[in-house]
Amino acid sequence: MGRENFHRILDETQQNVLRMGSLVEEAIAKAVDALTRSDVALAEEILKADDYIDDLNVLIETNCLNLLALQQPMASDLRTIAAMLDIIIDLERIGDHACDIAQITKNLANEPLLRPPVDLPLMAAKAREMLREALDAFAHHDAEMAHKVPEKDDEVDRLYRRVFSELIQFMAKDPKAIGRASNLILVALYLERIADHSTNICERVVYMVEGVPKKLKRSVVEFNEFIAHSDEILSPHTEPAT
Amino acid sequence: MNRVWPAVAAAALVVVAGLAASPRGALHLGIVAACALAVAALVWTVTGGVERPGGRDPQAAAAVPRSGAPPAPDVLQTAVSPAAADAGSGRAGGNTRGANGAALGLAGIVDALPVGVIALGAGGRIDVFNAAAGDIFGVSPERARGRALIEIVRNSELDRRVAATIREGARDTAAITHLTSGAERHLVVTTLPHPALGPGGVLIIVSDTTRVRELEAVRREFVSNVSHELRTPLTAVKLMVETLQSGVDKAAREQFLSSIAQETERMIALVEDLLDLARLESGKLELRLGRVDVGEVCRQAVRAQEARAQAGEVRLACELPAEGLEVTADRDKLSQVLTNLLDNALRHTPPGGNVTVRTYADGDTAVIEVADTGSGIPSTALAHIFERFYVVDPARARGRSGTGLGLAIVKHIVEAHRGSVSAESELGAGSRFICRLPRDLQIPAHGL
Ligand SMILES: Nc1ncnc2c1ncn2[C@@H]1O[C@H](COP(=O)(O)OP(=O)(O)O)[C@@H](O)[C@H]1O
Ligand SMILES: [Mg+2]
Repeated sequence: MGRENFHRILDETQQNVLRMGSLVEEAIAKAVDALTRSDVALAEEILKADDYIDDLNVLIETNCLNLLALQQPMASDLRTIAAMLDIIIDLERIGDHACDIAQITKNLANEPLLRPPVDLPLMAAKAREMLREALDAFAHHDAEMAHKVPEKDDEVDRLYRRVFSELIQFMAKDPKAIGRASNLILVALYLERIADHSTNICERVVYMVEGVPKKLKRSVVEFNEFIAHSDEILSPHTEPAT
Repeated sequence: MNRVWPAVAAAALVVVAGLAASPRGALHLGIVAACALAVAALVWTVTGGVERPGGRDPQAAAAVPRSGAPPAPDVLQTAVSPAAADAGSGRAGGNTRGANGAALGLAGIVDALPVGVIALGAGGRIDVFNAAAGDIFGVSPERARGRALIEIVRNSELDRRVAATIREGARDTAAITHLTSGAERHLVVTTLPHPALGPGGVLIIVSDTTRVRELEAVRREFVSNVSHELRTPLTAVKLMVETLQSGVDKAAREQFLSSIAQETERMIALVEDLLDLARLESGKLELRLGRVDVGEVCRQAVRAQEARAQAGEVRLACELPAEGLEVTADRDKLSQVLTNLLDNALRHTPPGGNVTVRTYADGDTAVIEVADTGSGIPSTALAHIFERFYVVDPARARGRSGTGLGLAIVKHIVEAHRGSVSAESELGAGSRFICRLPRDLQIPAHGL
């Protein structure tokens, strides 16, 4: 493999990462769409398409390892390859979460209908926006943009808390809704994770461009936090006994 | 184009002055000429350049005289010499804002096209990315040039289709969706092999059909709305007829017959609304003009609605000028305007409320106002209520009419009379519809 070939493969591999990114982005959009419209056929489609994402993942990984093994990449190329190896792990997880959401759509097909909290689609839009911008930052080697994206994570967390408490209250009021509501809580959790994975991608982009590893701001919502506060969450709807 | 002349004149002056001052040597002449061009460029820049697309970039304008280089190759040149379409050179086509001759050529034309045009040259690099493509995909053409398509447009479907076109060498057209930061866009994409752009050269033509699809959705919704509106009374009539056929007592028969008459009226009214609107919109409306007493028309319209107002416990009043008010208008059409406005007002006013019709003269205009103390209209909806098929709250409006045609018809009729109609409303407090009509309408011989 000559130097020229090296760069050709490196280029192609970067494009493949973006290809994988586009598939993952679309999978989330479709998954959320399928959930809100209870579209089981679309959910099935997402589950099937995941194979292609996995194939790309393998291809990218192989190419990265080949580049590392057969050449001694220079510092910046080395960082790009290392970043890509990390980014595809995050993309793969995000793709899995899209499948998780699709699976939930299938599971809920026979459950009684429950209107999802309004904040859930907002949360989905925000998480998708973060992923889109993270991928844009990678495509354009734009560290400045990569620095900004994680700031949006706070908003996702805030929405997550609201969705969570709304659904908990729902379950408290109507035990028949527990099946559906708890599944929607999982959806919110997946969306929150997607935002976190997008933050990871941004960290890798910053490292790739600036050469310094950096932990970007991120707040993880702990499930336990809510268990601890569940009384508080439930109280507004515990009617006073008369 | 008159902005060019100061520039040319200034350049000529400098040349003449230069020649006069230093008549010796070609070197001087060259410098003078360069100065002349620079001055010309400066004047051009200051005066804002020639007003044509792509001609407003002062830097590009100045670049020509400074470098003295030939105009940058345009798409055509790239196309005829594939070797020149070097990967990553990214100098062809796409939003070429140079003020040189090339901008008037193919690149300028491609840039002005209303469809997105993307050309991929050797190595899959973007050679051409016109302004429309930039709008559709939300990227600046400058950023796109020389890059791989997937770096600029992340759309797996498009990516797959481009790969297939390169592989199979066949042209292909498909409808795809594209995610943007806003709503998703619907695109029709044609990919075709274009070897002139180099090995693996592909031309991508993109048209945005999002708006067309929105309109189609409006139409579909309308058809289903109208079908619903017709089916409901039809089903009722059918059931009543069947019951009558099986034999019922006299009292029940009377009741059924009157219900059937009522439902039939309703269907006729709807169909007439539709036909009216079709006529109005196709411009075939014929106004039978005559002198009309506005007060009289109002009184009649109010009288026709009195029973309904009483049933709904709404006070219906008329405030007319003592001296009478005449306009040149089509009497039937004018009364239809009032009927539609009163119908809306009564429908949206709860028991105990008021509906008032008021007419007065305002200079050479006659004003008709229909005001109510009803539910009012949200300010976001107010801008749309005169659009055909627009219904503020479809769920609530499913009652009597609810096809959203009434106000569209009102607007058409009033405008056919060279008048105007507007609405004011406060949510929860009431609404006021104001029609202004010229008192002495002069219709030209060829009609409206
Ligand atoms: N006087 C009014 N008060 C409140 N809302 C009104 C009034 N007049 C019209 N609207 C709103 O404007 C919409 C459009 O009116 P219109 O074109 O007459 O259609 P339609 O009456 O068939 O629904 C109605 O659906 C209604 O919501
Ligand atoms: Mg109406």
